[in-house]
Formats: sequence, C-alpha cells, structure tokens
Amino acid sequence: MKRIVWRCLAASSMLLVTLAQAETRPQYGGTLHVAMRAAPMTLDPADRSEESFGGRSITALLFDTLVVMDDSGRAQPALAETWQASRGNQRWEFRLRQGVKFADGTPLTANIMAASLRAANPAWNVSSSGSSVIIELEVADPELPAEVALPRNAIAKKNAGDVIGTGPFYVIGWQAGKKLTLAANEEYWRGRAFLDDIEIEMGRNVRDQMTAFELRKADLIEVAPEQTHRFVQEGRGLTSSARIELLALVFSRDASSAQEKALRQALALSVERGSIRSVLLQGAGEPTGSLLPTWISGYGFVLPAATDLQKAKQLRAEARTVPNWTIGYDGNDPLLRLIAERVALNAKDAGLSLQPSSGSTTDLRVVRMAIASGNPWVAMNDLLGQIGMPAPKDKSGSMEELYTSEQAAVASGRVIPLFHLPQSYLSASDLKDWKVQADGSWDLTRAWLENSKP
Amino acid sequence: MRTAVYNSDIPENSLKPVNRSTLGLRALQFGIFLLVLTASLAAGAADWSTAEQQLARKIASVTGPGTVALTVENHSSLGRRDSDVVQNGLRAALEQSGVHFVKPEQAVASVAITLSENVTSYVWVAQIHQSASESAVVMVSVPRSGRASTTHDSMPITLHKALLWSQNDLILDLSILEENGSSSRIVVLSAENVSFYRLQSGKWQPEQVQAIGHAKPWPLDLRGRLVLNKDHNLDAYLPGVICHGIGTPALNCRESDDPWPMIPAPLIGSATVFPSAGASGSPSAAVSQVSGFFAPTRNFFTGVLTPAIGKFSNVPKFYSSAFVPRDRYTLWLFAATDGRVHMLDGMNDQASKLDWSSDMATVRTPCGAGWQVLAASTTPDGSDTMRAYEFPDRDPVAVSPAVDLPGMISALWTESKGDSAIAVVNNRELGIYEAYRLAVSCSQ
Repeated sequence: MKRIVWRCLAASSMLLVTLAQAETRPQYGGTLHVAMRAAPMTLDPADRSEESFGGRSITALLFDTLVVMDDSGRAQPALAETWQASRGNQRWEFRLRQGVKFADGTPLTANIMAASLRAANPAWNVSSSGSSVIIELEVADPELPAEVALPRNAIAKKNAGDVIGTGPFYVIGWQAGKKLTLAANEEYWRGRAFLDDIEIEMGRNVRDQMTAFELRKADLIEVAPEQTHRFVQEGRGLTSSARIELLALVFSRDASSAQEKALRQALALSVERGSIRSVLLQGAGEPTGSLLPTWISGYGFVLPAATDLQKAKQLRAEARTVPNWTIGYDGNDPLLRLIAERVALNAKDAGLSLQPSSGSTTDLRVVRMAIASGNPWVAMNDLLGQIGMPAPKDKSGSMEELYTSEQAAVASGRVIPLFHLPQSYLSASDLKDWKVQADGSWDLTRAWLENSKP
Repeated sequence: MRTAVYNSDIPENSLKPVNRSTLGLRALQFGIFLLVLTASLAAGAADWSTAEQQLARKIASVTGPGTVALTVENHSSLGRRDSDVVQNGLRAALEQSGVHFVKPEQAVASVAITLSENVTSYVWVAQIHQSASESAVVMVSVPRSGRASTTHDSMPITLHKALLWSQNDLILDLSILEENGSSSRIVVLSAENVSFYRLQSGKWQPEQVQAIGHAKPWPLDLRGRLVLNKDHNLDAYLPGVICHGIGTPALNCRESDDPWPMIPAPLIGSATVFPSAGASGSPSAAVSQVSGFFAPTRNFFTGVLTPAIGKFSNVPKFYSSAFVPRDRYTLWLFAATDGRVHMLDGMNDQASKLDWSSDMATVRTPCGAGWQVLAASTTPDGSDTMRAYEFPDRDPVAVSPAVDLPGMISALWTESKGDSAIAVVNNRELGIYEAYRLAVSCSQ
C-alpha cells in the first residue's frame, strides 16, 4: 500500500516538475554580443551631436549620473547620496557618495563631478565644496534631479583624449563608429556586473542585425517598428519600451507669415496618420498630434491628430500663393523615405506641393527624435531644443502651463507630430535579466548569460 | 506652483536603517512561536476632493454657471470604484459651482473630462466646447499612490509559510532569538547592517543596529547568512567578510575567506530522525558538519568543501546545498551554477536537471521520512512556489503541495533549530523584501 502511495506521489511530482520552470540564480561570466544602428564617433556623454538610443545605452554602461529616475518618476541616489534645494529651487547641493572610483582607479571627487557637469551644461554655474557639488541656476528648476539624471549629464573624467567613467564596464577596445569592446569593472560601486565582456557592433542596419542574430553572432539587436508585428506573431523574444520616440515633420525655420502658418496647418491636416500606421508601420506606434506621448504628459490625446482634408483644402484655397516645399529624410533610413513620400502624396491631395529629397537642405524634414526623459518638463525642453525652438526656462509651472507651451509650439507650425514609437529589441533566449529603460535604452547592469562559465 | 520632492536632507543623512526598515514592518503570529502584528496595509480611501474642486472651479471659470453636458471617461489605471468616486465628486463640485447637467441638445457647453495619467500623477483633463469655434482645455494633476494584494493551496506533509518580516531593503537572512523559551527578538541581516527588533506590547520595536564594515563593494546578487555559533551568539557570513559577535559590544567584522558552515548546529550528530517519523524507521548515519568556501566577489560557493564528503573535497560551483541522512551515509545535494543538481554520496556524483531554482534547504521534522528538502520552482508569471521533497531513492518525490510565494526567492536558509527554513522573497507587487518562515506539519 505504502509503495503505491509513493508511486502516485512520484508520478504527481514528475508532472508538477514538468510544469515548472528552472529559474536559477544569475550566473557570472560570458561575452554578450550586441548590434546597433547608431554609430557614435565619441563616447563622451556630454557630446550632444549624436543623440541616439544606442548612445544612451553605451553611456549607461560606462558612466553614472548623480541620481537615477525610478519607474515612478522619482529621483533615487546614485553618485550623489543626498541632495537638497534652497533659494526656491535655484541652488541645488548634491553630496557625493564616498568610495567611488573611476575605471582607472582614481577616486571620484566633487571637483571632477563639477567639471563634468560644467562641460555638459555651459549655462549652469557649477562649483564644488568639500564633498558636495553645487549647481546655481538663473531660474528656479524643481526638475533639476530629472535633468541631472539624463545620460548627457553622466559624470566623465577626461584624460588625454580618453573619457573615463565610474560605470559597471570599462573600455578595452574602441573603433569609433564601428566597434566597442567592454570589460566588467571589478570594483564597481554597485557590485561587479555578471557579464565579463560586451562587444558592441555599431552602424549596423536592422537587416544586418537580424542576419547576425539568426547566425547567433549577436545576442541583442534592435528591431524596426514595422518589423515588430511579425516577431510578436512568431512569438519571438521581443521587448519594447514605452513610446519614447517622436516621428515628426520639422520645418527648418519659423513660419514667416500668417499665410505660411495656415499652409503648414493645411499640411498637418492632410497627413493620413492612420493609413501610414497601417501600411508603413505595420500597426506599430501611435498616431499623435502632440510632442509628448500621453504616458509622459497625461494630456497628449487633447491635441488633434485626425485628418481633415476638407479643412486642409479650404486653408490652401485661402492662400494667395503656394510655395513648392522640399521634404528631406535620412537617406539611410528607408522608413523615413517611405513616410516622406507618403506625406508628399497626402499633401498633393490637399493641393500642396511637396518634393521628397535626401538632400540636407530642405524646407522641412521627416525626423526621428529620441525623447530624453519620462519627466514631462525635461522631455519637453529637450524636444523643443532638438526642433530648434526656444524652451521655457521656468519649469515650475503646472501641467496646464506645460500643455499651453506645447500647444503653442505645435500651433506655431514649426513642427507637425506624426507618431510616437517604442524602441524594440530582440534578445537571445539565454540572455537573462536585461531590461529596456523608460528612456528606450537597454540596461545590462544585471544581465547574465545562461550556461556561461563563471 | 509645484514644490520639489527631495530625498533626506543632507544634515540628516545618517538616517537609521531601522527607521527605513520599519516602514514596511509587518509581523504575523504563527503556531507555537509568534503573533500577528496586525498588518496594517489596508489602504485608506484616497482623498480626491481637493483635486475635484480644483478642476470644477477651472471648468466653471470657463463655462460660468449654467447648463452643461458632461461626460467622464477613465483612461487611467484608477479602478472602477475610485473612478466612480471621482466622477461623483466632480459632479458634486461642479454643481456647487453653479453648473447644472443637462442633455447635450439643451446644454450651453459640453465638457468632456478624461481621467488620464502620466508616470508620477493622475492627470484629469477637461475639454470644454462652447461653440463650434470656441473651445478650451483645463486640467489638474494628482500625485499617484500604490496599492497591495495577496494569494494562497494537500499530500502527506503540509508546508506552511508565515510572514515574519518585510522591509524595503534587501534581506539576506533573518533569525528569531528566544529568551526564556519564547521568541522575543528578530535579527535581520541586510547588506549594510544587522538590525535587532524586540517584541514589546505586541509590536516589534527597533532595539539595535550594528553596521557591517566592508572595504570592497558587495557583489551583485548579494548572499549572506546568520549562523548560531557554539557560544550561542550569531555570526554573519557574507562574501569575503565574516562578522563575529553579532549583538554584542565586541562585534568584529573582518575580511575573511573562511568557509561557511552548511549545517545548523542542532542537526550535527543527528543519528536518527524524530521518533514520531514513521516512514523510514531505520536509524540514519550521524551527520557531521561540512563547510563550503564562498567566492568573495560572486554569488556562489566555490565548490571547495571542508572536510571532504567521502572522496570529494571539490564539487562543482554551487549556489546552495541540502543533505539527506541515510543508513550508512549522507546524501548531499548541490544546486550547481550549471543549473543541475549534483547528488553526492561520498563515492559518486550524479547530476540531474530537476527544474528547481537555485536555492534549497534541509529541514528535520516529525513527518514522513523525517528529513525533507525544501526547493522552489518558478511559475510562468515569474513567482516561485515552494515544496517539500523526500528522496526514497535518488529521485526527489514531492511530499507537500506547493506553497505560492509572492515573488522570486532571493535567499533560503535552514533555521538554526533545523526544523524550519527562512525564505526571503522579493515581492513582485509591492517591490519589497519579505522573510517567511517555512515550516512543515504532518498531514493525515
């Protein structure tokens, strides 16, 4: 009888075992291979000339910021353990975490932190005092912690042409724009990363990345928005961020007359975002009339994105003269070319003339803009800066005031928001515990490779 | 005008970990030993009235007193109940402002309120249309707050879990200290300190915090264990660091690669199972202590053992170990870093893929064969379930139903008495660490 009971128990346990999964503790070791489209020519986080999600990801591997923003949008200590504002948020003091070292072994000091922040923000008055860094501002900024959490404000020490950080990895090989090889920083203040090395191939288009992934030469690759639908259907390991990229039409200058502003409004009303999304984006992204996605602002749905061809034609008819605009796009980005061509067709339906061109000097361009932060004020200021519009200095207003400034920016006709897109990545099944950050970059600080040799 | 939210003021930086840990303090009474400390996580109803009135005032300032057609849609994570409360509150506030609700065809203005949100706040947006060309948008934002919930599952043995402690910071291990035969103190080992709490008037009160000195950064996936030494004091073992004299003025933390003892003292020399354990019947071999060297900058044991288990002084690198005394030998189990469980009897090393997680622990109980191995498996939703197993031969047989845990286990250690284990879980929903006592009772 007892034997029968044991057999039953054994059978039931085997069944349960097959239903369960093996989740082991993280394993140390291994080399992770990553491919990306971005091809940064510098590793300096303060260099704003090449803002990309890939660049952000690399910065997070090599450098740290004073604070980091958590999933709830709250600042959490990083290189700064504590901070305090005074003088109505015009003076901020960040106290340095003790015992942090750069990858070359030199200790992090308040002086180095101040120099790094000054280099990244020439408009800030940054000084050091003891183990504190003090930032004094012309206008109150309650959002400064979110600002210093941006990758471009990561703390870097420049040393004979090299840029050194305090991050979880350090550089062991660097071919600008082509290849970056990193090794784990054994003395990292948050604890040594699980991965031993990371090799990053840069400047690879999405097709090349996919080929490398299929050949198991890459463990983590980017996926174009129009491809995500296919991978979801196939049940592949696709991971996407929140919608953190703005795809928009940006004019090279402000409208010079009320008539020109009206014609730009006609263009905005003529664009069939819904059909572009269905056909060109294969259902990815969200059509938008706002700069900030709703998950960041809370009000994005208020700004209209609907097509109104009748009104567009009416505005066109009211204009005495109609210019022949040229619309530019990045020749290396096939999606942008297709969207530019589609927008030109939509414009034609409204009686507007739009000529697509891959040239650099055009009246307007279809562009991708990486949204900098989940903080609405910081994100808005950064976007306006990318567009070439002045950003409101005062970030102490209400959400309503932020809405008003966004509405004004859109109404100016300088920018026509089209879509908000997520950043999507495909990862090998043995890559564990990596994640996509709110800013669209990947976070590999706790990533590990299953079956690596510790 | 918004106000900035900061962390602690700089002069008050030396915030005591005790204060932080007590933020999430909950205690439960269980069986013979402890008490329920009324877990007061029951969230009170949120007060939306200020925001409702603000938005109502803003709307009324656009529409003026008069007739309005109102719609309210919830596009946020607010539950239906909260959403209804807000809608009713908004209606009442608008009525107080002189706004009357009518059908659209009778209204002077239409107001479409959307309950939206962003990362930090609920954002309530009112789109007001007074004529085809006249429209306005007003809004208010309300900081968001969190919420909580829990869950619960027969065989010859029942595994019970009892929540002992919770805190925001990582818990490495926890120990209950007894005085005069009753549990009176909890000792919590965290990354940077050891905290003592004493039961007074039914509540756990912070008593003492001792910092753990360490010169080098801790490795990721930090491990640590409290071990009752022969002087009945606690020692703390962490990667590359050992602290002797926990709770005494002579606390001494030093860099050390000394091996970690793997068997609680009361189980050493155990020649038999509990007298009431009927399944085995035959006496088992005396258990002798084995210690394992822990890699000082990693999350695993190096595999070097002292003394050797039979002919094995080296086993594969492992995360955790368990043992099952047999007639003539002790069967040792090692959850290796290669994902397999190695079973050693002193002569042979047999590796199996058991689909267990990395942590396991032995308990000695009056049930079944008298010795059970507690091990976890992970459910598809990413939470762990814990189950007791016995080894009639070389294959594990589940002898208890699975106990659900609210997240993944970050630590599992046999308690110092040897009849129960402490499991630390990273609660997926609450984002906090919870320490549970896992104890076995005999089913009929």
